[in-house]
Amino acid sequence: MFRAILALVLILAAPAVAAPLVYTLDAEDSRVGFKVPFGPDQITGAMPVRSAEITLDFERAARSKVSVSLDVARARANFPFATQAMTGPKVLDAANHPTITFVATEIIAIQGVGAKARMAGDITIRGVTRPVVLDAEVFRPQGSAEGERGRLSVYMTGAVARSDFGATGWSDLVGDEVTLDILVRIDLAE
Amino acid sequence: MSALNTESSFGWVTRAIHWAMALGVIAMLGLGSYIARMEVGMSNLWLFGLHKSIGVVLLALLILRLIWHLASPPPRSLPADTPWKDSAARWVHRSFYVLLIAVPLSGWVGSGASGLDVVIFERFTLPPLAPTSEAWESSAFAVHFVLTKLLALCVVLHVAGALTRRDGTLRRMVRG
Ligand code: HEM
Ligand code: HEM
Repeated sequence: MFRAILALVLILAAPAVAAPLVYTLDAEDSRVGFKVPFGPDQITGAMPVRSAEITLDFERAARSKVSVSLDVARARANFPFATQAMTGPKVLDAANHPTITFVATEIIAIQGVGAKARMAGDITIRGVTRPVVLDAEVFRPQGSAEGERGRLSVYMTGAVARSDFGATGWSDLVGDEVTLDILVRIDLAE
Repeated sequence: MSALNTESSFGWVTRAIHWAMALGVIAMLGLGSYIARMEVGMSNLWLFGLHKSIGVVLLALLILRLIWHLASPPPRSLPADTPWKDSAARWVHRSFYVLLIAVPLSGWVGSGASGLDVVIFERFTLPPLAPTSEAWESSAFAVHFVLTKLLALCVVLHVAGALTRRDGTLRRMVRG
C-alpha cells in the first residue's frame, strides 16, 4: 500500500557520498507490525519504536549501523485479550523486559536491486538474544528528487519464533512464528 | 402459588431457581466441553466469555438458593422404595451444592491465574482469585475438569432418580 505512496529510490546506485549519514528516528510514524496465526485467523498489531540509532552508508552498505529499541508495554494487538496476553508474563513479559532490541551485525546490499539489503542482526526478546535476518528496503517520499536522502522510510520484513525466546504462552492457541513488517521513518540529522 | 416452601411442597422461588440452574448446568457442561476442544479463533473467542458469565450467574444462583433455604427450608424428600435410594438422593443433593461452588470457583481461579482479565458479560472484570502462575492455572483447570465430570455423573443419577420415581416427586418439583 505504501509502496504506492513512496517511490523506490535507487540509493545504492546513487553517486558517491563521502561519509556515512546519521539519521534520527521519527518515532511517531514508525512501528513494528506483527502477525501471528490464531486458529483460522491471525492476531495482528503493532509495537512502537522507542529509539533507534541509524547510520547509513549508501556506498558500502556493510558500514551502515542500525540499532533499534522497541517499547513492549505499548504494543497493541487487534483485540484487548491479545494485547494483555502478549504483554503479560507468559509472552513478552513487559514488566520485566520493557524493551525489545535489535542490533544489526551485518548489512549486505542486494546487488542489482537498488535500495534493497539483507540485514542480519541480534534481536533480544524477554532478555534472550537470537540471530535474525530482516529484508530491508529503503524508500524516499513520493515526489522527492532522486538521490534525495533527507527523509527516508525503511521497510523491513522478517520473522521470529516465539519458542526461541521462551515467549510460549498460549502456544496451544496461538502460533509460534511471528511475522514482522517494520516501517521506520528517519530524518537526516542536521 | 406460594413463594415459600412448606413441609410437603416446593414454593415457586425454589422451583424457579432449581429449573434455572438445571438448564444452566446442563448447558454449561456442553458449552464447557465444546470450548475446551474447539479450534479457538476470532469468531468463537466470545464463547469463553459466555461460559464464564453463565458460570458466575450459576454461582450467584447457588448462593441465593442457600440463603433462601435458610429462610424457607425445602420439604424433605419423599421416602423411596428402598433405603439406598434415599441415601443416594441425599448424597447427590449434597454433592450438587459442593460441586456448584467448587466448579465455578475452580474455573474462576484458573482463568484469573492465566494472567488475563476475567471479564463477564463483556463489561465486568472480576478480580483474579489466584496469582498469575502456570501452576495455579493448570491445577485449577485440572480440578475444574475432574469436578465437572463428577457433576455430570451426579446429573445423570439425579435425572435417572427423578424420572424413575412414580410417587409424585417430579410433579412436586414441577408444579409445587
Ligand atoms: C442438571 C442440574 C440439576 C441440578 C444441579 C439439580 C439440583 C437439585 C437439588 C440440589 C435438589 C434438592 C432440592 C433442593 O435443595 O433444592 C433437587 C431436587 C430435585 N430435582 Fe434437580 N437438579 C438438576 C436437574 C434436574 C432435572 C433435569 C430434573 C428432572 C428430570 C430434576 C428433578 C428434581 C426433582 C424432582 C427434585 C425433588 C427431589 C425431592 O423431592 O427430594 N432436577 N435438584
Ligand atoms: C457451574 C458452572 C460451570 C460448569 C458446569 C462448567 C463446566 C465446564 C466444563 C464441562 C468444561 C470442559 C472441561 C473439559 O472437559 O476439558 C469447562 C471448561 C472451562 N471452564 Fe467451566 N464451568 C463452569 C464455570 C466456569 C467459570 C465460572 C469459569 C471462569 C470464570 C469457567 C472457565 C472455564 C474455562 C476457561 C474452561 C476451558 C478450559 C480449557 O480450555 O481446558 N468455567 N467448564
